[in-house]
Amino acid sequence: MSENIIEVKGLTKKYGDFTAVNSINFNIKRGEILTLLGPNGAGKTTTIKMITGLLKISSGKIFLNGKDTTDTPDEIKKISGYMSQKFSLYPLLTPLENVEFFAGISGLKSKEIKEKKSELKKIVPENLLKIKVESLPPGVKQKIALFSALLSKPDILFLDEPTSGVDPEVRRDFWFEIYELKATGKTILVSTHNLDEVEFSDRVIILHRGEIILSGEPEKLLKEYNTNSFEGIFKEVIAENEKA
Amino acid sequence: MKIYYLMKKELIEILRQKQMIFMVIVSPVFQLLIFGYIATTDVKNLPVEIINISNSRYSQEIINRIEKSPLFIIKKITSRYESPIKNMKEGKIKAAILFRDSFDRKRNPSGFPDIQILMDGVDSNSSLIAAGYFNGIINDFLLTEFDKKGISVAVKGKSLLRYNPELKSINYMGPAIVAMLLTVIALFLTSSSIVREKEQQTIDTLLISRLKPVEIYLGKALPMLFVGLLDMFLGVTLVVLWFKIPIKGSIFQLLIASIIYLTAILSIALLISTFTNSQQEAMFFAWFSMITFILLSGLYTPVENIPWGLRWITKINPLQYLMKIIREIFLKGNGMKFFYKDIFSLIIIGSITISFSLFIFKKTVSK
Repeated sequence: MSENIIEVKGLTKKYGDFTAVNSINFNIKRGEILTLLGPNGAGKTTTIKMITGLLKISSGKIFLNGKDTTDTPDEIKKISGYMSQKFSLYPLLTPLENVEFFAGISGLKSKEIKEKKSELKKIVPENLLKIKVESLPPGVKQKIALFSALLSKPDILFLDEPTSGVDPEVRRDFWFEIYELKATGKTILVSTHNLDEVEFSDRVIILHRGEIILSGEPEKLLKEYNTNSFEGIFKEVIAENEKA
Repeated sequence: MKIYYLMKKELIEILRQKQMIFMVIVSPVFQLLIFGYIATTDVKNLPVEIINISNSRYSQEIINRIEKSPLFIIKKITSRYESPIKNMKEGKIKAAILFRDSFDRKRNPSGFPDIQILMDGVDSNSSLIAAGYFNGIINDFLLTEFDKKGISVAVKGKSLLRYNPELKSINYMGPAIVAMLLTVIALFLTSSSIVREKEQQTIDTLLISRLKPVEIYLGKALPMLFVGLLDMFLGVTLVVLWFKIPIKGSIFQLLIASIIYLTAILSIALLISTFTNSQQEAMFFAWFSMITFILLSGLYTPVENIPWGLRWITKINPLQYLMKIIREIFLKGNGMKFFYKDIFSLIIIGSITISFSLFIFKKTVSK
């Protein structure tokens, strides 16, 4: 089995004359946490949506386990879990109803759905299980959304800015959960614009204006740039890119 | 089975929104009651001014008949000529009848009674109906007089009215209003269903799930079909029990026609929901479609009255066919052999709209 679960080559998305993502190349290694870092509008969400088949690519190739799946995005969908910026939950449904729904459309059998609902009771307080999701705090919504994204038992998890709008404590807890998932063998692609989250990942790719301007392992990059924080690196590479 | 969970979710979302419950249950009942009473072309209590210069026995006889009619209210009777125009302009009267002095046969040897009926033509339909009633009263009086004098009339005509002998417009309008409400509910509820998922960003989760686009499409459409049929049932019950309009034809055939019709209208609504980006935008297109469908459906005016250049549009308007079918079933008790062509047209429209709408949905979700 190939070391890379996904490889993208020359991935491009154009909207008329505007190029949202410009011929990017990278791979996602099996079992790693890869972070796409960049300011708003850098092309992080567009890249995730193209890989998951939610957006049609303008040009380029996507390989799954070495096989070209550019024209068959359903193959990637089958092994993917996805969590969007807004947590992708139905606000009028309760946490239990949301889980039942996502488990149901993931093809789980009634017995499995029951089990999953019982599992949810372990991570969400009992008193919150039967109230509408719209009334829940962001941290709880985030937990339910991650739980729901895992219901289809995906090999790879795409998390699009999963920590936006939550407080630092919840963010830290969330990353512990991500580590736990990694320990179970899941591959995770996370997009974020929070610089302090980079240290949690195995590799980082910095996107700016639809192009990759830096990539590597966080520790090595910190050594290379001789700094303690990613903020300096980020500012420097963005400034260089803007000059160019 | 996966589609079951999507349908269940859709129904829960409808039930959790108070405004949706209002739209699905309260609004159709309320609108049907309101429309049932106001959407009438019946002439009742028409205010009339009478200028009786003739002041003869004959003119008095006709005035008595007008007075007895529940259709008219005599606001003023005068024996001197006064122009009724001012009162008509101020809206105090809708009609004026002038009996000239030549009306009396003794002073009018030519034998031609001279009665002038002046109508307020703003509401041309009601004016024509009222003028017809006046002429009927006058003709009836003349025939009675001829009979008394032993004068035989060569040609006597008598109209027989079938299917709606009392000429009640509610009998004609009631079933059609049910069809109209079905359109309104189906268009407005469904047109927001996909676009709402876009706004909530849940559409991506749906698309990345194991659901195929066709399953998502059907999972959205089927609960709305159920809601539409529920409203149809509510509307028909109200028309039958409240307005006392019996269904003379087959309820089963009405159900079949409604399902085919709803297929067409739901696919149009889902098409709107697919290409719009906000619920507001979807509401605008739903409103525009609704107005077009209703105006070109024959609800108020027969389709045959629509100018030739525009009449072809009615051929692609599904509401026009349901309107015709529902009236055939309610009023005439006709069966499939009388409206199979309309059913066939609905099937064609439904097939085209659902294919196109599904094609656009599939194309949009993979753009």
